[in-house]
Amino acid sequence: MIEIRDLWKSFGDKEVLRGITLDVEPGTTFVVLGASGSGKTVLLKHVIGLLRPDQGSVVVDGKEISSLRGPDLTDARQVFGMVFQGSALFDSMTVFDNVAFPVRERERRIPHDELLARVIESLRVVDLGEDVLDLWPSQLSGGMRKRVSLARALVANPKIVLYDEPTTGLDPITTNSVDAMIDQAKERRGVTSMVISHDIASAFRVADRLAVLYDGRIAAQGAPEEVRHSDDPYVQRFLSLWFEKQ
Amino acid sequence: MGRIRAGFEDFGEQVLFAGEALAWAFRPPFRFELLLHQAAAIGVGSTFIVAVTGLFAGMVLALQGNYAMRQFGAEGYVGGFVAISLVRELGPVFTALMVTGRSGSAITTELGTMRVTEQVDAMESMAVNPIHYLVVPRVLAATLMMPVLDVVFTATGYLGGYLIGVYVSGIAPGPFLDHTRSMLEVGDLEHGLSKALVFGAVVSLIATYRGFRATGGARGVGEATTRAVVWSSVAILVVDYLLTFISIG
Ligand SMILES: Nc1ncnc2c1ncn2[C@@H]1O[C@H](COP(=O)(O)OP(=O)(O)OP(=O)(O)O)[C@@H](O)[C@H]1O
Ligand SMILES: [Mg+2]
Repeated sequence: MIEIRDLWKSFGDKEVLRGITLDVEPGTTFVVLGASGSGKTVLLKHVIGLLRPDQGSVVVDGKEISSLRGPDLTDARQVFGMVFQGSALFDSMTVFDNVAFPVRERERRIPHDELLARVIESLRVVDLGEDVLDLWPSQLSGGMRKRVSLARALVANPKIVLYDEPTTGLDPITTNSVDAMIDQAKERRGVTSMVISHDIASAFRVADRLAVLYDGRIAAQGAPEEVRHSDDPYVQRFLSLWFEKQ
Repeated sequence: MGRIRAGFEDFGEQVLFAGEALAWAFRPPFRFELLLHQAAAIGVGSTFIVAVTGLFAGMVLALQGNYAMRQFGAEGYVGGFVAISLVRELGPVFTALMVTGRSGSAITTELGTMRVTEQVDAMESMAVNPIHYLVVPRVLAATLMMPVLDVVFTATGYLGGYLIGVYVSGIAPGPFLDHTRSMLEVGDLEHGLSKALVFGAVVSLIATYRGFRATGGARGVGEATTRAVVWSSVAILVVDYLLTFISIG
C-alpha cells in the first residue's frame, strides 16, 4: 500500500510537484501518465525515498518513507524493485553481476548454481538468452539494457515494483511481453506496481488505476474508463490525440 | 561572503559524510572482497609512481644535504638527514600527493560517473547503501595502503639517497649508514606511518565525497575530480602541519 499525501517538491524556484495525493492499493497496478517534464520521475523517486519532499508525505506499508534516514531507509527499501528511465545498469559489472546484485545482497550465502538459475530465469522473462550473461552494459543495445534492468528489478521478487517507462524504446512484441510480465507479477505474487508510461495503449492495458499529471498536480485519476471520460480539458486533449489515431 | 559561507557548508557536509562512512564501516555485512579489490587497485595503481618519485626525492635530498653539510665538514650525517626527512615528512606527504593524483582522482571519476548516470540511485533502490558498498571499502583500502606505499616511497628514497650520497657525492658508506642508525628512532617511524594512515583516510574521504556530490554530466564529473585533487592536496599539507605541531610543536 502506497499513500502519497499532498506532496510538494521544488528545485530552486521551479515547482515540479504541487500537492500530489494518491493511493496505490496492494496488489494493483497504478499507471502515471503525463507530458515530458511533468514530474513523473520526480514523483516515483519520492516513493522509494531517493528524493525528499518539501512538504507532504509518502507512506509505504505503514512506514513513512519520506522521513526515514540512514539504515532505516535502507531497510525499508527491501520491499522495492525499481526500473530506471535510463536503465542505470552498473557499467563496471557484467550483465550477470548486474542481475545477480540484488539477490546476492539479500541472500549472501546463496550457492552459485542457484543464483545462476535465478538470473537466467529472470532474463528469459524479458526474452534475453544466456549469451548476454558475460556482456558489459556498454555492449548492449538501448532496448537490451532496458530489459536487463527489468530483470534486475524483478529478480529478487520484490513486493512493490516501480517502473519508469519500462517499454520506451522497445519494439511492440517486447512491449507486450513486458506488459504481460507486469500482469503476471500481480496475479502470481500479488505484486503492487507503479508504472510511468508514454505508451497509452500499454498504459490502458495494464492499469487498474491511472493518473494524469499536469502542471504539478493530478488532472484526473481513477479507473482507466473514468480517466478516459474525464472532463478535464487537459486530459481530454492528452488522450484524444491518441484515441483519434486508433 | 556567499562563497565563504558555501565553503563552510561544504566543509560541514564533508565532515558529516565522514561521520556517516565511519558509522557504516562498523555495520555488517563486511564486504572483505570489495576491500581487497580496492586495496589491490590502489596498490597496483600507485606503487610504480610512488617508487619513482621516492627514488628521485631521496636522490635530491642527498645532493642538498651534502651541499649544506659539507660546509661544516659534516657530510657523514647526510644518511641520517635523508632518512629522517623521508620517514617523518617527505614519505607520507609525497605518497599522499601521488595517491591523490593517481587513485583519488580515479575514485572521484568512477563514483561521480556512477552518481550522474543514476547508478548510485539504482544501488539505493536495491536496499544497498552506497556509502556502505562504495565508500567504506575505498576509504578502508586507502587508509591501509597509504602506510604500505609510504614504506615503498621511503625505502626507494633511502636507496636513491645512498646511491647519490656514496657514488656521486663521495661520502663514505660506513658513516652514511652509521649515522642513519644513530639518528633515526622508532618514534620517527611511528610519526611518519601514523601521518600516512591519516592522509589515507583524508584523501579517500575527500575523493569519495566529491564523487558523490558530482552533478551534471561528463563536465560535472571533471569538475568534481579537479576539486577532489585540489582539496586533497591542500588538506594533506594542512593536516601535515597540524600533526607535526601536535607531535613536536
Ligand atoms: N535533480 C533535479 N534538479 C533540478 N531539476 C530537476 C531535477 N530532477 C528533475 N528536475 C526537473 O523537474 C521537472 C520534472 O522532471 P521529471 O524527470 O520528473 O519529468 P518526467 O515527467 O519524468 O519527464 P519525462 O517523461 O521526459 O521523463 C523537469 O522540469 C526537470 O527539469
Ligand atoms: Mg521521466
